[in-house]
Amino acid sequence: MLVVWKILSLHFKSDFILPSPEKTLVTTLALFVDSRFLATVGTTILRGLAGFIVSGILGIATGIITGLNPFINAFLQPILVTIRSIPVISIILLALIWFHPGMVPVFIGMLTMFPFITTNVSDGIRSIDSDLIVMSCFYKVNRRRIIRELYIPAIMPFIISGASSALGIGWRAIIIGEVLSQPEYGIGTVMQNAQTFLNVDAVIAWTIIAVLISFGFEKMIRLVESRLINWRA
Amino acid sequence: MSLEIKALYKKYDTISLFSDFNISFQEGTITCILGPSGCGKTTLLNIIGDIIKPDSGQLTGFREKTASYIFQDPRLLPWKTVEENIGFVLSKDMPAEERKKITGQLIKLMELENFALYYPSKLSGGMRQRVSIARAFAYPSDIILMDEPLKGLDIKLKLNLIRIFSQMWLTDKRTVIFVTHDVDEALLLGNDIIVLSRPPVKIITKKQLDLPLEERRLDSDSFRELKRNLMSALGNQ
Repeated sequence: MLVVWKILSLHFKSDFILPSPEKTLVTTLALFVDSRFLATVGTTILRGLAGFIVSGILGIATGIITGLNPFINAFLQPILVTIRSIPVISIILLALIWFHPGMVPVFIGMLTMFPFITTNVSDGIRSIDSDLIVMSCFYKVNRRRIIRELYIPAIMPFIISGASSALGIGWRAIIIGEVLSQPEYGIGTVMQNAQTFLNVDAVIAWTIIAVLISFGFEKMIRLVESRLINWRA
Repeated sequence: MSLEIKALYKKYDTISLFSDFNISFQEGTITCILGPSGCGKTTLLNIIGDIIKPDSGQLTGFREKTASYIFQDPRLLPWKTVEENIGFVLSKDMPAEERKKITGQLIKLMELENFALYYPSKLSGGMRQRVSIARAFAYPSDIILMDEPLKGLDIKLKLNLIRIFSQMWLTDKRTVIFVTHDVDEALLLGNDIIVLSRPPVKIITKKQLDLPLEERRLDSDSFRELKRNLMSALGNQ
């Protein structure tokens, strides 16, 4: 990929279309020492986390309810499908009218992540082996312990895989939100500015940063997974 | 003292599984219930264990007792180790040391010492069933219900499990109701052996064996004779 990039940049011979990989690398490294770097990256990460936590709480709650109750599930299913099929851009345009610029990306992130978590948790609840519940009830294990020692560990793998796909798509949605809402700090904001001034190297450099963030969180989720779910063969 | 079921009725759709069925069990012994598959043996166990309600019938002596259940499949929690699975049925009010002592003892008796910290996914089928047996004995019950727990294991494993189970039971003689379709298992473990018919279920024959568990040999003459008897009772229906 790097070789193709290099050849293409030699072909275009213009930093405004495609800067060389070396130049981009220098720009990327320079970002780290920029005084606004931490604030920019930090704000985007905080937005991602805020959206993720809210959608996590809501998603786990709705997932549990829909998983346990087929009637509510039948009722909520079309709503979830609708949320998932709404183009992200429509939500952004509406959110721009409704919310403060800083909140728009959080809202977008939350709304895109929520269905993934709900669906996964709901599937997790339905996948619980009813024989294990019969066994626990037969041995008169109390309700609280059944929830803590049977339900929660059983849905944990589903929560984690839900979190992983949610964040994968969430970061992208949040950065799109920032590009369009232009909050004071945010990766999307700086990318948009860089694009306006044709600083293609900066656009690519910030893209690399965004990929690194996404990658870092994915790694963290996998780490939690291997800690928590060490019982699988 | 005995445990009794009188005038039991249970229907599934149009099939009348039990119709005026009566049976009794002697406390502190192992009763083996033999019967063709689909004859309602598991239903009978589930009625005794209060998992299924009968249409009508009188159960005497069961309600004031607690029971453990050894299911056909081991039903272990995949995210708990052998030790934790056995301890799962113990009350959390019990002091940790005592819980540890009980599980530790059972792990030893069931010959699982080297596997206490293993998760079920790392165990063989026979070992998982041993954990399930240990769990049943860990639970402070009067009655142990067993639903063909040896089904699907090869003969060597089966004999090994019977040996371990006998060893275990001799140290802790609870009332055991053991449902199976395998005559050998019944001969090796049963104090009473009851053969059931196809639905509507009736008792075809009942045999009593007084030979201590540790002296039982499948190849002895008296056992061969008894086996032929039971096989014909099972087959002639």
